[in-house]
Amino acid sequence: MSTNAFITEETIEPDGDGPLSELTVAVKDNISTAGVTTTCGSAMLEDYVPPYDATVVSKIKAAGGTIVGKTNMDEFGMGGTTETSAFGPTENPAAPGHVPGGSSGGSAAAVAAGEADVAIGSDTGGSVRNPAAFCGVVGIKPTYGLVSRYGLVAYANSLEQIGPLANTVEDAARLLDVISGPDGNDGTTNDGGADSAYAAAADGEIDTLTVGVITDLLEGADDRVVDVFDDRIDALEAAGATIEEVSLDSLEHAVQAYYVIAMSEASSNLARFDGVRYGTSGGSDGNWNESFAAAREAGFGPEVKRRILLGTYALSAGYHDKYYKKAQDARAWVKQDFDEAFESVDVLASPTMPVLPPALGESLSDPLQLYLMDANTVPVNLANLPAISVPAGTADDRPVGLQLIGPKFGEETIIRAASAIER
Amino acid sequence: MTAQAVEQRELAVVIGLEVHVQLETATKIFCGCSTRAAEDEEPNSRTCPVCLGLPGALPVLNEGAVEAAVKIGKALSADIPEQTTFHRKNYYYPDLPKNFQLTQYDAPICANGSIEISVEGTRREIGITRAHLEEDPGSLQHKGGSIDTADYTLINYNRAGTPLVEIVTEPDFRSPAETRAFLAKLEEVLEYLGVFDPTRDGSLRVDANISLVDADAIDADGGISADALESANRTEVKNISSHKGAEKALAYEVTRQRNAIQRGRAVEQETRHWDESRGITVSMRSKEEEKDYRYFREADIPPLAVSDWKERIPIPELPDARRDRFQTEYGLDAESASKLTSTKEVADFFEDVAESFDPDLAATWVADNLLGELNYRDMAITDVADRLDEFTRLIELVDAEEVTTKNAEEIVLRSMLDDGDDPDTIIDREGLGKADDDEIVGFVEAAIDENPDAVEDYHDGEDGALNFLVGQVMQKSRGSADPGTANQVLREQLDG
Repeated sequence: MSTNAFITEETIEPDGDGPLSELTVAVKDNISTAGVTTTCGSAMLEDYVPPYDATVVSKIKAAGGTIVGKTNMDEFGMGGTTETSAFGPTENPAAPGHVPGGSSGGSAAAVAAGEADVAIGSDTGGSVRNPAAFCGVVGIKPTYGLVSRYGLVAYANSLEQIGPLANTVEDAARLLDVISGPDGNDGTTNDGGADSAYAAAADGEIDTLTVGVITDLLEGADDRVVDVFDDRIDALEAAGATIEEVSLDSLEHAVQAYYVIAMSEASSNLARFDGVRYGTSGGSDGNWNESFAAAREAGFGPEVKRRILLGTYALSAGYHDKYYKKAQDARAWVKQDFDEAFESVDVLASPTMPVLPPALGESLSDPLQLYLMDANTVPVNLANLPAISVPAGTADDRPVGLQLIGPKFGEETIIRAASAIER
Repeated sequence: MTAQAVEQRELAVVIGLEVHVQLETATKIFCGCSTRAAEDEEPNSRTCPVCLGLPGALPVLNEGAVEAAVKIGKALSADIPEQTTFHRKNYYYPDLPKNFQLTQYDAPICANGSIEISVEGTRREIGITRAHLEEDPGSLQHKGGSIDTADYTLINYNRAGTPLVEIVTEPDFRSPAETRAFLAKLEEVLEYLGVFDPTRDGSLRVDANISLVDADAIDADGGISADALESANRTEVKNISSHKGAEKALAYEVTRQRNAIQRGRAVEQETRHWDESRGITVSMRSKEEEKDYRYFREADIPPLAVSDWKERIPIPELPDARRDRFQTEYGLDAESASKLTSTKEVADFFEDVAESFDPDLAATWVADNLLGELNYRDMAITDVADRLDEFTRLIELVDAEEVTTKNAEEIVLRSMLDDGDDPDTIIDREGLGKADDDEIVGFVEAAIDENPDAVEDYHDGEDGALNFLVGQVMQKSRGSADPGTANQVLREQLDG
């Protein structure tokens, strides 16, 4: 099979010159492109053509980037393998026969296969870092509020950020330089990243850096992954970094908290897809609710339905306090744990993924196993922090990624550390 | 309980209101689209990705709407929180672009306010539970029938995203008349604040909760126990769009519920629709499911710190205070003070005039003459807002005795309103400049010459003769003579 990295291959020409001139850019298909179909990997939006550009798309065009297409993804970002796409799975170019990770699997695969120089994805619980790790490329999840989400079709809006993917830390940072910054169309953006120069930070200088290894995130990980990880940490120490072990008690609740919050928000964010303006009409006989239900039954895949149902349940009267509120409490705890950890270390490190890329089709039948694959990435989204996944090596001919987490708006620090690992 | 016994029960009315007010901001609450409906505008022309709820679009809070709500909060003596947040109210309805409404939940912009009303001399304080901001949905047009029978329904999102304030009262009303007085008062206050345009279609929408309880559940101050309130079945009446409509709808509902109770039937707890044209409420007949809106915080709108907004944002003097001040400061009677404070524009104009002229003259001219003539023409002061200096000029001419009061009232003012001319032009054209004393002497001599009988009667001491002669002088001067001067000159000539 072909890689199937793209849902739509269509060139969108730049309208300016800048740091991305001469570069081709792949854009995840949940990021709005005026006049070009934006499907979110869903049959519901198979024919949806946005009338406007996402802020990041405008910025890429203005910076000279040539967009080469819209990349495949898990439906509405709900998945970690790109197999829930309504447009078929994407194959991992770095590990043929295996999944590329997800949900931004198409973006990572496009970069890994050389079909685009750089790419943008979105990361709600790891959706940039996971495919970056599985495909052996670099992926950055920025601090919440650094990059405008205007035009990003929401899955879980309190958690997600648009982030860059590239073959090198410096290229990913260069793309971050372009897409970051406050946006009047996104009230959650701010100038916390002002005066940053991300590409310039990829200088490999780490001799004064203290790296905290999160021991909680090694415990459940595959030994082959941990071995690759440990080698890299040893190399960092040899290069002059100080290594410390850190334990964050809240993390054992992170996956549960993440899924409750993400599904709750999703149940609301996806409510607008009711067949009136998107997808196949549910028909005009009977009442509206029946028509909406029919349209949603036809337009959404099983994983999306599962998450909408669970999220609706978690927000319902009588369950709201037990699930949604409790998850918010856990989220606050995770944030606090990270804040405390950054009082003594500059960056935190863990394997990006606790497992090696599964074979295509291998894991799709067990949603719980898939959710647990997110254990190392979701805490970062809960805490609104920046993180980067950088290639750490391979095991069984499959890429392994190393994740570095920084304090709020500490992108320069994690880029610097990642560039040292890359060398 | 026998029917006989039921009839003996004395019943008291308990009403609470939810008032939706469209705020008069230039742009919608979460996007830059205009809130002003253009005449004959195309459906869905005043929209953008945000108010259409397109995938990926994000709301950005219009702080002007928050300011307007804070002004309302100040006017209602309400508490303004440290910070205010927005929630999603999730429900499926085709007029709702996102299938959720952005509204406020646990941190409304105003809480614990009150408004004092007066009905037939009895003052009552109506508690305001809360007032919160939210977005208006779009509007549905059912084609070929009503909501149940239409062939199809069209959706117009032009209204979607118009800022609303929902003002929720305590169940403090004890009669439909009180709701009317409250709504009139509220509208007056909102107009004074400049946050509300009553001429906009649908700018004020009222839902009312009404139940009848045993009269002895109401205490001397009109208070009611939570238990009594809880045990009575209530109806929610929707689709009320004016204060008159509120009184009518609720009066109908009182009668309907009282009849049911007196016949020994329970009042069904349900939502009813006020049919203004038929003057009745009708059951919406929708299955009343327990509504679960699954509220949760909207992360796209960061919390807004508003703790100092109450101090920072000024509001104008409110109608009640201004009415009192007009009486003490200008020595006006209650009726004039009330007329002159009916709208902020009128009160401002009066004060502007009263600064340069005698307050009594200003009051007569603004409250009686100007408002009277405007009212006769179905106009308001806002219709002549750009001509107020012309009216001031007219008062100046009267004050300087350049034109008689009678001519100013009966000819100049009316012509100003009917023909749109300025007072000087009209006075010139009609030759109404006040006659000087020499001219009056001429008119007086002529009147005496031409009316020897009246002169004789005057000398015989007949009361009416002098008035007759004054009338003749006035007629000759075509009203331009001052009657007092004419009277004086006549007597000098006749007695001299």
